[in-house]
Amino acid sequence: MKRKKLRIAVQKSGRLRELSLKFFSDIGISLSEETDTSRALIAQSCCGGAEFLFVRHADIPTYVQSGVADFAIVGGNILEEGQFEVQQIATLPFGECRLAIAVPLDSPIVSASDLDGERIATSYPNSLRKFLRRERVNASLIEISGSVEIAPALDMADAICDLVQSGATLKENNLQTVFTIFDSSAVVIESPYQHVLKNILRAAILNYKAVSEGA
Amino acid sequence: MTSLTRVNPALLRGTKDRLPDEMLRRNAVMQIIRDKFEKYGFSPIETPIICPAETIIGSDADTDKLIYRFKDRGQRDIALPYDLTVPFARFVATHYKKLPMPFKRYQLQRVWRAEKPQRGRLREFYQCDADIVGSTSLLCEAEILRLVYDVLSNLGVEFTIKLNSRRLSNQLFERYGIELAERAPALRIIDKYQRDGFASVVSKLSERGIDNATAIMTELQPQGDNAATLNALGAYDTSELRTLLEHCRALGIPDNRIVVDPTLTRGLDYYTGIVFEALPQSGELGALCAGGRYDNLCERFTAQAISGVGASFGFERIMLYLDSQRYHTDSSAQSPAQALIALLADECIPAALKMFGELQDANIATELYFEAQPLAKQLRYAVKQNIPFLIIQGPDELATDSVQIKRLSTGKQKSLPARQLINYLVNYYEA
Repeated sequence: MKRKKLRIAVQKSGRLRELSLKFFSDIGISLSEETDTSRALIAQSCCGGAEFLFVRHADIPTYVQSGVADFAIVGGNILEEGQFEVQQIATLPFGECRLAIAVPLDSPIVSASDLDGERIATSYPNSLRKFLRRERVNASLIEISGSVEIAPALDMADAICDLVQSGATLKENNLQTVFTIFDSSAVVIESPYQHVLKNILRAAILNYKAVSEGA
Repeated sequence: MTSLTRVNPALLRGTKDRLPDEMLRRNAVMQIIRDKFEKYGFSPIETPIICPAETIIGSDADTDKLIYRFKDRGQRDIALPYDLTVPFARFVATHYKKLPMPFKRYQLQRVWRAEKPQRGRLREFYQCDADIVGSTSLLCEAEILRLVYDVLSNLGVEFTIKLNSRRLSNQLFERYGIELAERAPALRIIDKYQRDGFASVVSKLSERGIDNATAIMTELQPQGDNAATLNALGAYDTSELRTLLEHCRALGIPDNRIVVDPTLTRGLDYYTGIVFEALPQSGELGALCAGGRYDNLCERFTAQAISGVGASFGFERIMLYLDSQRYHTDSSAQSPAQALIALLADECIPAALKMFGELQDANIATELYFEAQPLAKQLRYAVKQNIPFLIIQGPDELATDSVQIKRLSTGKQKSLPARQLINYLVNYYEA
């Protein structure tokens, strides 16, 4: 059966959730007031033409890639980390952060080649491997799914590769950035499948004043 | 000392020893081919090296001349296989009742040809064959072509698959009134078109009494693209080739990988339908893989009519090609080991043995140095074997429950808590 409503995936919880909902509201698609915003996983838009899916951040591209959602807002870092068949149609002026390599304040590591043979803890193994390949540096990857910044103090790692926003967390853990692998911000992605309403929403997204088109 | 007549450690011409570095490279490529064959559901078989001569000779006049043939001690007439297709035909005839039909087999074996050794062509060499027997469906050809595309793509080869059909050649011979007996020799002449050129092929065909040689060769010329080539052959039924091209496209083989070339015949007599060969886009090596449909291959061994289609990869040529492309970035490895555990003192033996066992359990290819000798000597062994890591746990490291890891390529040495060693090596990323 063909789905009538457009589906938009946004982060279930996290810093992009409210910013994403505000963005869609600004272009005319706001969440229905009846929604229990703390619990709902699917919610209707006021206009009735769209519904929102609230899903885990890292899963968002999968929903869009499979055509379950038509559009979504996701952190650029998530797209960098995976390999997804989705089209990035716009870059948004929020959700800025960067993926960076950080080391203890007293570390001798100052250049990429100093990382050779070292242990690097990360939740972004694919992005880190891409970086190491580009820099032609071999290293041992310690994959952990969160609180990466604690690894050097525990002698689990010599460096970390993690998302940095303000840098406050690094400071608290006596770490400092030595390289930025990439800068990231929130982006709009579109599924490869057709939907009759897609063109209308895409135009609205691209008309929004602060959006820069494409990747 | 007793006196001993020493023998010259000679080899036969056209054969060679292969040292560990070469074998590691060959095995890596062989493994890719084997993996792909199995991904497509082909089952492995093996056939004997020494065979009754009558099961090997007689299927193709040209190749018969190349067959190694001798009498054994019991005066039996013995021959060595010159390809894997003929032994497979015999195999199918022998085991026909037990085999599932269709039957898909692969075979990676040595074959022998008594011809003048040249670059990439020794007298003893490997072939890698995949065949489907027991179905006449064109889907078999499509699957085989997808397999060829997949294997060569995985090896990083830039290649083109040339495609033709014997049925098309036969229609053409029919139209030009070429008699059945003349067709096989004509195909063998046309097969040399790429090597010998238009004029040579025309003159050789004319010598055999084929009057319309120029017209035939002109009609066989490939056009700008496959559609144009097939349209130019409008006088003939080209539906087989057209359907196969559609199947290949549906299988995701890029259009530019396959070129319909009506001059392609493959010299071997036993092909009856689709024939193909895969050529590298650069270099003078010739086909890396070739094959086709045969309908009557088993008829020498059984009354059962069995049709099949297969591909044969020329392993030695593939290796030559890959060497020319510097496929193997690390071509000096002598040992498959990733790590060598150094032995600094006899008192460290129990810990070294324990570590060796644990690394093996973790599936890390590891060697253990057998004698407590100066570290420099152990390091030289690791360098000679091109083992990437030297692991050192002497009395000092044992006292602190740590290990030193030395990366040979950089000389960089790093100390780690001993219990992190396996995790370190398992997660080591080679950029």
